[in-house]
Amino acid sequence: MIKRQIPFLFALWKANLQAAMEYRGAFLTQVLGMMLNNAVYFVFWILFFDRFKQINGWNLNDMFLLFGIAAGSFGLGVFLFGNAIFLGEIIAKGRLDYYLSLPRPVLLHALASRSVTSGLGDFTYGIISFMLAGQIGWDNTARFFLGLVSATAVFVGFMILAQSLAFWLGNSSALAQLALNAIITFALYPISLFDNTAKFLLFTLVPAAFMGAIPAGFVRSFSWSALAQLTLAAIVFLGLATLVFQRGLRRYESGSAIQTEI
Amino acid sequence: MKHIGKYWAIFKTQILNTLAYPAELAWRSLSIILFLWVFANLWRVAYRAEGSGLLNGIALKDMLWYLMLAETIELGKPRLARVMADAVKDGSVAYLLNKPYHFLLYHLSAGMGESLIRGSMTALFGGTIVWLMMGPPPDPRGWPLAAAGVLGAWLLHFCVNALIGLAAFISEEVAPYEWIYQKLVFILGGLFIPLDLYPLWLQNLSHYLPFAYMLYGPARLFIAPDIGLFLNVIGGQIFWLTTLGTLLFLSYNRGVRRLAINGG
Repeated sequence: MIKRQIPFLFALWKANLQAAMEYRGAFLTQVLGMMLNNAVYFVFWILFFDRFKQINGWNLNDMFLLFGIAAGSFGLGVFLFGNAIFLGEIIAKGRLDYYLSLPRPVLLHALASRSVTSGLGDFTYGIISFMLAGQIGWDNTARFFLGLVSATAVFVGFMILAQSLAFWLGNSSALAQLALNAIITFALYPISLFDNTAKFLLFTLVPAAFMGAIPAGFVRSFSWSALAQLTLAAIVFLGLATLVFQRGLRRYESGSAIQTEI
Repeated sequence: MKHIGKYWAIFKTQILNTLAYPAELAWRSLSIILFLWVFANLWRVAYRAEGSGLLNGIALKDMLWYLMLAETIELGKPRLARVMADAVKDGSVAYLLNKPYHFLLYHLSAGMGESLIRGSMTALFGGTIVWLMMGPPPDPRGWPLAAAGVLGAWLLHFCVNALIGLAAFISEEVAPYEWIYQKLVFILGGLFIPLDLYPLWLQNLSHYLPFAYMLYGPARLFIAPDIGLFLNVIGGQIFWLTTLGTLLFLSYNRGVRRLAINGG
């Protein structure tokens, strides 16, 4: 079953890439623009650590690593599964009809049917940021990509959960946007800033720890416990997201609108 | 007077539009709570690390009130670049061009109407969380000075946003310009750190650019109202509004001449 979907997934990604490359100028502007955007944003941390040197055990190199994971996983998530951040709108507008009428898994098909081009800029910036952190041994690099995959799975899972609220609440785009802001904001700051209650929330309600601090720590030094946490978080969030989406789908009502997906 | 009346009507209509979905408005404004809570944690640790109650003369409480106003300006600012770019690209700009109002002034009135409501709601949530975490706001006698600065800041934001939107006359994709402009405002405007804490060379550079007058100036006025600073902020805003406003109207006139609309 899963084996059958892999060629399908690759076909969707190929089609998305071809569509994006149709307008070369816009494609390059978005990718390079996003890289520059992230670089300018990171100047904040350079200025901050120029003044304070370290914050609760975190220094500038740690921030490069954290940004590498957070930007890389966000970019990978929205480039490969772009509709993860638009799913609520698709549900609320009755546009799931198209996916329901085809013999493919609805969630997978909907998620991968769109690619956010600028995500490729985030992903590339993430890799550059990782390299600037000065931890580019083969083992760190392998752990970086493993951490990236796990962080992407948690991010996409969390987005599906937040966007699936549209099955129950109707138009909930503002709430989903808040969830997106929350996971990105918290993922981009050192976890040592927060007290234990906040940390608990960052591992559960808004799993930003799995999109930043935990994989970043895993890249720095291997531990079985971090590997177990990353694997478990990816499985739990993706599993929960699929379950909630399937439950929501039972409540879905078609708009009976004539539509085409381009 | 008749001319002002129609833009006033657009401004009021946009206020009503923004207020029409209060739940959506509230959810969108809640983000400031997240940001300020994270900043509070970050700056508490930074002040502790410095071992001082003051950083370049700014106390922790004032730092959070500064960040609250800077975030309010940023989150409430007119965001018209995408709307204007879409209007240019899909040709719907033609719908506005043949109406008895100026395209730019129409967007200015609508944008300021939306900013007023979004900014007020954001300030309400942001002010509440900072008050709860740090204590009461700065001296209310400085608020009118800061409010004037906020108005100038939003007008400056409008000019740059509109210039980015109009870039659609010559560029396929304008979103990246908007992202980069936003991040320049973050850094050179002092959204995360007041400019006072920057290295001297960067402070000096920032004061020669418009970004400092978009965030730092009004937010600094809020925590340390001073007539000298007020005149400096307003003077800077007037200079940049004149420069950017002229550039905007010239770009618009040039863009409209290039516009080709096919069919209806």
